[in-house]
Amino acid sequence: MMAKSKTAQAFQGSKSIKPGGVYWVRYILPALAFYVVFMAYPMLDSVRLSLYEGTAGVRQYVGFANYVRLFTDEVVSKRFWNAFGNNWIFFAYHMILQNALGITFAAILTNRTMKGRQFYQTLIFIPCTVAVLVTGYLFKMMMNPLWSKAPLAKIGLDFMIHSPQGWLGDPGTALSAVSLVSVWQWVGIPTMMFVAAFQGIDDDLIEAASIEGATPWQQFTRIRIPLIVPVIGMVAIMTFVSNFNAFDVVFAMETLDGAPNYSTDLIGTLFYRYGVAGQHPVGIPEPGVGSAISTSIFCMLLCGVIPVLVKTQGKE
Amino acid sequence: MAKEKKTRSLKIMNMHIPYHIIMILWSFIAMFPMWFLFVNTFKVKKEIYTNFFGLPSKWTLQNYQSLMASSDFFVYFRNSFLVVVISLFMILFVGSLAAFALAHWRSKTSRVIYFFFVIGMMLPIKIATIRLIQIMKTLGTLNSLFSLYPVYIAMGLPTAVFILTEFIHGLPGELYEAGYMDGAGRFRIYYQIVIPLIRPALATVAIYNLVPIWNDLWFPLIFITKESQKTVLLAVTRLQGQYSTDWPKVLTILAMSALPVITLYLLMSKQFVKGLTAGAVKG
Amino acid sequence: MEQVSALLAKYEELTGVKIVFQPTTSTQYNATLRAQLDGGIGPDLFYSRTCEAGAELYENGFNVVCNDIPGVMENFTDVARSGFTADDGNIFAVPFAAVSHFVYYNKAIFAENNIEIPATFEDFLAVCQQLKDAGIQPLSNGIADNWDILECVLCGMIPNYITAEERVAYEKGERKLNDETMLRVFTDFSKLVPYLPEAFASIDNDNANVMFGLGQSAMLIDGSWSYGTLAGDDYDIEVGFFPIPAPAGLTQGFSLHPDFGIAGNAASTHPEEVKAFLTWIASVEGATEAAKVIPEGFLPLINADVAPEGSIISAMNAVGEGKPSDMRFVWNMRTLYDPMVEQLNAICRGEQTPEGAVDAINALWEAELAK
Repeated sequence: MMAKSKTAQAFQGSKSIKPGGVYWVRYILPALAFYVVFMAYPMLDSVRLSLYEGTAGVRQYVGFANYVRLFTDEVVSKRFWNAFGNNWIFFAYHMILQNALGITFAAILTNRTMKGRQFYQTLIFIPCTVAVLVTGYLFKMMMNPLWSKAPLAKIGLDFMIHSPQGWLGDPGTALSAVSLVSVWQWVGIPTMMFVAAFQGIDDDLIEAASIEGATPWQQFTRIRIPLIVPVIGMVAIMTFVSNFNAFDVVFAMETLDGAPNYSTDLIGTLFYRYGVAGQHPVGIPEPGVGSAISTSIFCMLLCGVIPVLVKTQGKE
Repeated sequence: MAKEKKTRSLKIMNMHIPYHIIMILWSFIAMFPMWFLFVNTFKVKKEIYTNFFGLPSKWTLQNYQSLMASSDFFVYFRNSFLVVVISLFMILFVGSLAAFALAHWRSKTSRVIYFFFVIGMMLPIKIATIRLIQIMKTLGTLNSLFSLYPVYIAMGLPTAVFILTEFIHGLPGELYEAGYMDGAGRFRIYYQIVIPLIRPALATVAIYNLVPIWNDLWFPLIFITKESQKTVLLAVTRLQGQYSTDWPKVLTILAMSALPVITLYLLMSKQFVKGLTAGAVKG
Repeated sequence: MEQVSALLAKYEELTGVKIVFQPTTSTQYNATLRAQLDGGIGPDLFYSRTCEAGAELYENGFNVVCNDIPGVMENFTDVARSGFTADDGNIFAVPFAAVSHFVYYNKAIFAENNIEIPATFEDFLAVCQQLKDAGIQPLSNGIADNWDILECVLCGMIPNYITAEERVAYEKGERKLNDETMLRVFTDFSKLVPYLPEAFASIDNDNANVMFGLGQSAMLIDGSWSYGTLAGDDYDIEVGFFPIPAPAGLTQGFSLHPDFGIAGNAASTHPEEVKAFLTWIASVEGATEAAKVIPEGFLPLINADVAPEGSIISAMNAVGEGKPSDMRFVWNMRTLYDPMVEQLNAICRGEQTPEGAVDAINALWEAELAK
């Protein structure tokens, strides 16, 4: 955490200046109202659905039957653990590769003396603006041996498409291919957050270090990184949480089933299939099972997030 | 002599050649699919398959013309724009107010509230769809953009509170302590000192939420059936059904729909830079 | 989509009732329809799927019961109605259109190579081999989309091997899914694999259609609904079609799958208008109007000759004329849909034998019936 001057600390300790809850509630209330009415309440209410079976008119309380089914039914539990495992791999790509790229780019882009920073940052960000439907389709085309093998063979690059199955058709490579496309598209977001974090660092600290003879690498690892640990923790949490809710990229590139052979099935697609849509086209959605899936994942996310929050956000 | 050498090496160092190499490399990786997106919007339907990588054998503006020909598209763009701008404004406004309070009011209750916001990021909002329909029905806002604003605002708040609390908390205390000394009201401190200082974080939150709101299909698909209230992506699905295999046309529309997002991004990153320089001067 | 608008415009012209059409994306149709119905804001009229997936909405009380709609009992065959009949015997939608599955072929390629339309499955394989030897890609089907390899290819083949009664026997568990007949179906399926494109694992239904449309393959096994695009302005090929041929010694069947009906929303605020529209669509006049505008390749389910003279619909009907027809095999065995796709994928990749596939499927169905 940022070092606070003694006066500031004294300041916050002062009772008259440090108002209590009654005062602060008025600042929080508008956000809380929106959040509770349009998100927290509907969601908690839907979590309750995990204890029910059927939809609308014929909803029935079944206790923990949906959870029992999720974890013991041969087919359902197989799909769940498969998607769960895939999701960790998908997450690992983002956590390691995307965030490392993000931090590298941000470190470069916050060099005050470097030219063209804004230009680069915009280019990094542009893929984020394009609908996943489109980027998914473009990469599908590029990686499809049917359309790409011949043109790439002309320039001797056909080894790049993993013929004959194609990266997206081979169950052994499809998940990596999809993850990399997602990393490619969204790397602009962590970059932006790290840029904001690096910009918040007091220049004097860096200057002092450089006068004392610290190399840029030392400045980076010993000063800049430790100072943005809270933001790194924040980005890690957001990566974790958003990846376990990811859906679009698989939907666009590998159908709702997480083809081939469920090798790209994620919790997001699994939830959608079981809880919202039903298996196309003969399936019947089971909101109870869908809700049980999200609730289980929610508990898991909580277990992952709390320690990170406590560690990186520091105590007063 | 030695000094001259030093300035020269400093000059070379300030050119940051390896950095430029890295950035150019990545810019290339980031942009080459965009290049294929661009050239393929000028092709006719079949050619995208026979000649995906190359330039069009005959450039056609047909895809753009058919887009421009439907005047409805301006209505859709306007709707999407309204949805994004109003939702983002509200997210930033109420979100930063709450974050300001949560960063300064350190008590058990505030921690609980903070945490309550943060857990909102961990469940897919689709799960709440049916209850949301019922709420909108009660409010009578179905079939209008007013059914979308509250959902998007609520959707954006967890990340807003999460990011902004973190950043406000990270601000050096002495920056606004002068304000307290002057006896300025807390609200004035909020908008005169805190807001300018957290501009980069505000821009981050805005951009983080901009993309999913602009590209959301699910809620418009369910809430909106009236032509005059449709958003761009919702309108695209109509075309997509119609031309389910006419990818150049779909690519054209969606490429066009990325333009407003890029514009908003540039506007916000201008704020972003302004915020930085302001911060630097004050810091 | 324009077709639906045209149909509704015609109806407005006839009755003065305006129906607003709200298209959604096909991939999200099930999901959005359900959410809207569940939330109490469903459309007045909607497309109903057949069998369990359609009946389930009815069981939740969303559908108008169609037993009393004039025409429903008189103008449709039992087979057509059966797809829209719930377990309690009530009819939950007016039957509307069926689909079939064909082998589409490129007439020019067949002519150049002196190929006749094959009469038996063995001939069909010989044709594939002949094309392959001539350096022409025989089929353009792939497995990236999962559904088409099952619904069009396997379910297209099955009516050649079993009758509708035999299908019911499988559903009830009276016949085993790993008996000789099913093994033969899967074995014959596996014989097609060498004639799929090299990159079949990356080829989705769209790719398969384009590949065939561009003349890069001689044949494509796909649904009747694709005819319009394949024969349309997009492509320069001449398209012919024939049913997937039965093996020598077996009766040629015809896969005719009741695909969708039109259902009324029980919670509609315009119940009278909904009934009136359903009555119209269940009448010969209404169906005749509909047949003029529904997309090519959707076969009207009404038991009357409503197909416009010389249309592709009547040509497709003619192919099925006099042949025992049946719906898609897995539709009443919902839980087998995914496992079957999985087994077919494995066979295509050479990771599973036909014997192994039918054993696995049979085991799952036996377990399901035991529940």
